[in-house]
Amino acid sequence: MKHGVSEIATGVIGGVLLVMGFLAVEPVAAQESIAVRAQMVKGLLPADDPNAAVWSSVAPATFPMSPQVHWPTRILEATVRDLSVRALHDGTNVTILLEYADPSEDPDDAAAIEFMVGDKKAHFAHGQPMAQVEGGPVNIWYWKNKDAKGMDMNAKGFGTLSVQTHQDVKAKGAYANGTWKVLFTRPLATEHPEEDTQIKTGGFINIAFAVWDGKKDISGELKEKGSQKAISSWWYFRAEAPPDYSGYYYAALAVGLAFGFQFILIRKLKKGQSA
Amino acid sequence: MGGPLLKPVILIGIVYAILKFAVPNIPGSAPLPASLIFLYLMLTTSGIVIFATLSGESKDAFWGPIQRFLTGENIGNLQVLRYGVLLLLPLIVGWQTYNSTAISAAPPAENRTIHPAPPGEYTGLSNPIAKTPDAIQQGKGFYAAFCSPCHGGNFDGKGPASRGFNPPPANFSDPTTIAMLQESYLFWRIKKGGVGLPIEGMPWKSAMPRWEVELPDEWIWKIIMGEYDGAHQSPRTWE
Repeated sequence: MKHGVSEIATGVIGGVLLVMGFLAVEPVAAQESIAVRAQMVKGLLPADDPNAAVWSSVAPATFPMSPQVHWPTRILEATVRDLSVRALHDGTNVTILLEYADPSEDPDDAAAIEFMVGDKKAHFAHGQPMAQVEGGPVNIWYWKNKDAKGMDMNAKGFGTLSVQTHQDVKAKGAYANGTWKVLFTRPLATEHPEEDTQIKTGGFINIAFAVWDGKKDISGELKEKGSQKAISSWWYFRAEAPPDYSGYYYAALAVGLAFGFQFILIRKLKKGQSA
Repeated sequence: MGGPLLKPVILIGIVYAILKFAVPNIPGSAPLPASLIFLYLMLTTSGIVIFATLSGESKDAFWGPIQRFLTGENIGNLQVLRYGVLLLLPLIVGWQTYNSTAISAAPPAENRTIHPAPPGEYTGLSNPIAKTPDAIQQGKGFYAAFCSPCHGGNFDGKGPASRGFNPPPANFSDPTTIAMLQESYLFWRIKKGGVGLPIEGMPWKSAMPRWEVELPDEWIWKIIMGEYDGAHQSPRTWE
């Protein structure tokens, strides 16, 4: 049985196109601004300086903020509408920089980062109880301008906010030109996994944010305080793992095996034809 | 015209086009995941191979050209293409291996059920408030006060407080939200809020307040009336 060269070509080109088609339907990873990615740095973390030059080389993730309307006492309008977040880690400590516009510097200006603790899901509003799901606590890293320090806290529902007996979070704020830069730093892992979020490199965890504009209105009342604040939903945070080249080794091995398979197959076919 | 391999290639192409482009356009359907399309194409390919190798003659017609191409005998100027294929295939295998071993850069996929099943006690409840213009008007007033900051004055889910929330507040003017639901379902969702959702609804992400702690049932039923009227939708009924 004889086949023309054009017939063979049709089949082979079709086959190659088919393989390429299979590859084309593979899903491509979406890269939206839904996660904060802390790159690993060698050397010193800019843990004490919100204005360190290195921050300008870190790509920010930007998250929209809403007034806290979920639970009374709510507010319907909050000062901060967008929050820009950058992060770095050195394998031991993680440092997260929040940046947002606030027209005035006030002693009661405050910001916070929230995480889930352990494997249980926690509601983004202070880990408040859920009817059909057993929730866990949240870990809150809090900073207030007039305190000039970080505070490590826990909550499991509104009204349960408590300051931890062991404080692992450091925080520092810097205000200039209508912009707050607030830096939070903590070891990736702590000795209190029941209360502190534990950050393992390479894995995604949930993160949420809150900001209070501590300006006073004409009656002397704080514009935003307690549950009256700007909040974000849950987003993702990842401390990037150190570079891993094992994928290249596996790929090289696979290429070698595939070449070997082809070689043996063609040799067998040739032997069959000549027999 | 065309070799014995032409028909299979065209057939696989057609199956791929149907799965990728035609199926998602069937009403009530959705885009198929790449892995499912791959599985269907593999099934199609196996079917073709089985069909092509049913008789000795068809088997020769099917495998013959492939064998000749692989061994490179009497294929003339296709020799270059042959080397290209023999080089390309191992590289594709390597690329696939790399992709499957590399750590994903994307956050975990979230398959949130938007309208999960309500608890039994909330199915089939009917609105106890008579549907009068006054009641609807009152409901719209409550909606404006309590719901519109997120769900919007235009019932489109774009209220001034909605921007930071993920998932976003429901758009009631969209025919796939309240128009698909019964009044009793809305009563459950408003009364118990985001934290009342079952696990598949990801209650930990929802900003919807638990209105039972602030509003009497009567107001909630009126809000439901005002919502449907304002969004120009009707509750789903069981025919």
